[in-house]
Amino acid sequence: MKKMNPVVRYFLKIISNTRTNIRDYGMYIALAVIFLVFSILTNGLFLGPINFTNLLNQTGYVAVLAVGMTLVIVTRQIDLSVGFLGAFLGAYIVVEVENLGTSVWYAIIVAILITVVIGFVKGILIARVNVPSFVVTLAGMFIFKGMLLLKTDSTTTPSSNNFFRTIGVGYLSDMKVGNFNLLTLIVGALAVITIVTLSIMKYRHNKKLELKQTELSMLITQIVVVVFIILFLTYNLAVYKGISYLVLITIMVVAIYHFFTTKTVLGRRIYAVGGNPEAAELSGINVYRIIIFVFVSMGVLTLIAGLMYVSMLRTANPNYGISWELYAIAATYIGGTSAQGGVGKVINAFVGAIVIMSIQNGMKLAGFPSNIEPIVLGGVLLLAVVFDIYTRNVRSIDLVGVSYAKQKYHDEFVEIKDKYIQAKQALKLADQTDNIKILELEFELTKAQGEYNQLKDRIRTAKEEDFLNVI
Amino acid sequence: MAKNNILEMRSITKTFPGVVALSDVTFHVEEGEIHFIVGENGAGKSTLMKILSGIHGPGTYSGDIVFEGEVVSFNGIKDSVNAGIVIINQELALFPDLTVYENVFVGHEIKTRYGLVDWKKTREETKRYLDLVGLKIDIDTHVGSLGVGQQQLVEIAKALSQNVKLLILDEPTAALNEDDSANLLQLLINLKKEGVTSIMISHKLKEATEVADSITVLRDGKTISRLEKNEIDEAIIIKHMVGREIEDIFPKRPKYEPQDVVLETINFNAYDKNKNRYVVTNSNIRLHRGEVVGISGLIGAGRTELAHSIFGNPKNYKTSGGIFINGKLVNLNTPQRAIDHGIAYVSEDRKGNGLILSETIGENITLSALQKISRYGILNEMKQSSEAEKYVRNLNIRTPSIFQRIRNLSGGNQQKVQIGKWLFSEPSILILDEPTRGIDVGSKFEIYTIINDLIARGMSILLISSELPEILGMCDRIYVLAEGVQTAEFTMAEATAEKIMEKATI
Repeated sequence: MKKMNPVVRYFLKIISNTRTNIRDYGMYIALAVIFLVFSILTNGLFLGPINFTNLLNQTGYVAVLAVGMTLVIVTRQIDLSVGFLGAFLGAYIVVEVENLGTSVWYAIIVAILITVVIGFVKGILIARVNVPSFVVTLAGMFIFKGMLLLKTDSTTTPSSNNFFRTIGVGYLSDMKVGNFNLLTLIVGALAVITIVTLSIMKYRHNKKLELKQTELSMLITQIVVVVFIILFLTYNLAVYKGISYLVLITIMVVAIYHFFTTKTVLGRRIYAVGGNPEAAELSGINVYRIIIFVFVSMGVLTLIAGLMYVSMLRTANPNYGISWELYAIAATYIGGTSAQGGVGKVINAFVGAIVIMSIQNGMKLAGFPSNIEPIVLGGVLLLAVVFDIYTRNVRSIDLVGVSYAKQKYHDEFVEIKDKYIQAKQALKLADQTDNIKILELEFELTKAQGEYNQLKDRIRTAKEEDFLNVI
Repeated sequence: MAKNNILEMRSITKTFPGVVALSDVTFHVEEGEIHFIVGENGAGKSTLMKILSGIHGPGTYSGDIVFEGEVVSFNGIKDSVNAGIVIINQELALFPDLTVYENVFVGHEIKTRYGLVDWKKTREETKRYLDLVGLKIDIDTHVGSLGVGQQQLVEIAKALSQNVKLLILDEPTAALNEDDSANLLQLLINLKKEGVTSIMISHKLKEATEVADSITVLRDGKTISRLEKNEIDEAIIIKHMVGREIEDIFPKRPKYEPQDVVLETINFNAYDKNKNRYVVTNSNIRLHRGEVVGISGLIGAGRTELAHSIFGNPKNYKTSGGIFINGKLVNLNTPQRAIDHGIAYVSEDRKGNGLILSETIGENITLSALQKISRYGILNEMKQSSEAEKYVRNLNIRTPSIFQRIRNLSGGNQQKVQIGKWLFSEPSILILDEPTRGIDVGSKFEIYTIINDLIARGMSILLISSELPEILGMCDRIYVLAEGVQTAEFTMAEATAEKIMEKATI
């Protein structure tokens, strides 16, 4: 058999990899399509530095909520109360500072205490008293809405406090090199170096343990794509104002939670409880404490999100908080978190939040009437989940192997296919009154069909490794 | 005299992605017989029955099904039930919160002229079918409050109410005690007279030798043989099933020399608040270092409950009396405490509460002792991989990699992962609860070998099992429980199957 052209092989490998891991890549592909569509509709304005910075700033509070919601949903719970709780906590801080003259930090510390206590209460009601989280947090939704109205006295309270201005519209440093923000360039460079080093370390580790892993050319392709994305981000932020505090907070929350969920004992325990609470219990994990932790963590992130939002608009308003929880839940599901529990990535929830806010931002920018946006959003959410279900059992495919197998079984395949077609024909032409004959022909047909399907399956599942010694 | 074949399956071939589950399987069942299909796990029994009952519809397999002389093709359970084929799965398809009569007619309700449910007739009919299966209970009982044996009979009553001609039972006695099993088998013999043919899928060869009129043996997706009534013999069946002769299912180990007591319960009681009764009464067991002690008894005798009480009482029973480890009274009120005291518990229900199906082999193995692969609460993934690799190798877990998810493994391999998970916590006392339930003969032998290895290394094992041969073949000493009460203690020399059964059925 002839060895395949390396360039053709390279592209076949990329397609095979993408198809095999379509569940992981699907969302990124979707995001790329959304970016492309809006860039075309807005003549490039959408991905331009100013709008792109705005988009990331707007995404912040939803992303932070979605990160917390991922853990909630991973442990098979839900939290409907985060919208109004976030708005209430934000309003609490603003009103305390503006109307009562307390210092910002004092107000924040009290708010932290409030949200931690609320998290505890939610966790205890859910894990110990066994009230469904849907009911507990639905009640919370009403209660916090009322508290928001009480705290704001149903009126808007603007604030000119410097703290909110800095968090809401401030940027980290305005030192420039030429046209570029220096700090942003440094952060971008550091990110690239970290990614490359981590990839090399993992590759070496896997090699040492002789674990099966992606081949080098694929790994390099992956790294190149990621580096390209980082460079694009860096460029876009650097030519405008650099990194805002909102983006900094978002990135930090995502990074900390990513590390925490994937690399720590507590993170592993949370996923174990989500995957099978009884097995987790029998493995020595205190399920009750884990659930409380998850709701307290959600509470703290809700406070951060609320603070980001009121800072962004520098007001406390009784109308804030509507549908935040829905956006957060949607972002989590778009990010592929499973409602059955135990499965879901924090990073993907972040990307899910970007998808949602891109649609919101892009449609506005492209001049669509604002009432169409929820319809599109609902459609995207449905599509994402349907896609997730359809790709749940995706089989791995190796197109290089398939191509070799096609060569190898070519003659056999033609023969069996012919036999199958003939059997079909024979049955069609047979005398319909001759029952015994028909039975026999049906039997022949199913047999031929079986052989045909088996061979097709053998070709479909062929791997390149199987042919290494033949070539 | 040759009878008519009620069912014939010809040249059935079925492939799943990458595997041939059935290849050219042919077998037939004669009218009015009890036909057994036996084979190791993965031999294709369940797949074959799924094709027969229409779960795998036409087009997904090749070959023919001939039922009552006609080629049939079923698209889903509804079709096969209409034709008179009813399958009763291992996991019963009943609604625990509905009453018996609602369950029997759910899906094929009797209707009045106006299209409403005719409850009067439903109740009458239900009574009639319950009499037929010999179940003497109130039809208003909620199915959830019945025992497993009784639930099975309700399922059969439901099948009869659907005018069943061919009844398929998938491992019906796996969860039943000896009495209920005997009852069920007698019922099948009775139903034969009513003209119901049955197919049984079973791991219990003793049943096959007792009641089968004929047997089909499958191995690796192929038909190996059909044995007629006069040819049925346990040794022959096993030989055909495994393709080799098993000299001795239970590997030998040296005679036990008494050592220190490592675990002891003294006047121990456990009260289940939900069930409102004592699940363990006055338990006094002793386990010595390097010893295998069997806990025998029927389902509901309190064996698992005793194990749970020792392993940190996760169900929060109210307990009294004492548990002693190495001579010291200990308070084991959470599983974590039990683990800290060197106890490990391999659950009887590996999918339900033993393993996390959505996670990988590596993640499951290390879950019982995360502190071993972490420092300051941060995991060392390199260590996780290398540790998991070690257990996969030592326990001979067959998998492409440690990153394989548990749900993709066979039962025997899942069980080995569960054992590996608990060996990882380095216990000194290992409680094995039905360690070989639902796994094939080959894997069973491997698990027995593992038990002997562990004993040789000084571990002590409590072995809970419903299979008497396993208890007799593996244990140094045996306790028998009946309804929560410890009724007997036997040494290996004293114990016989008859004696144990006698004490278990007090």
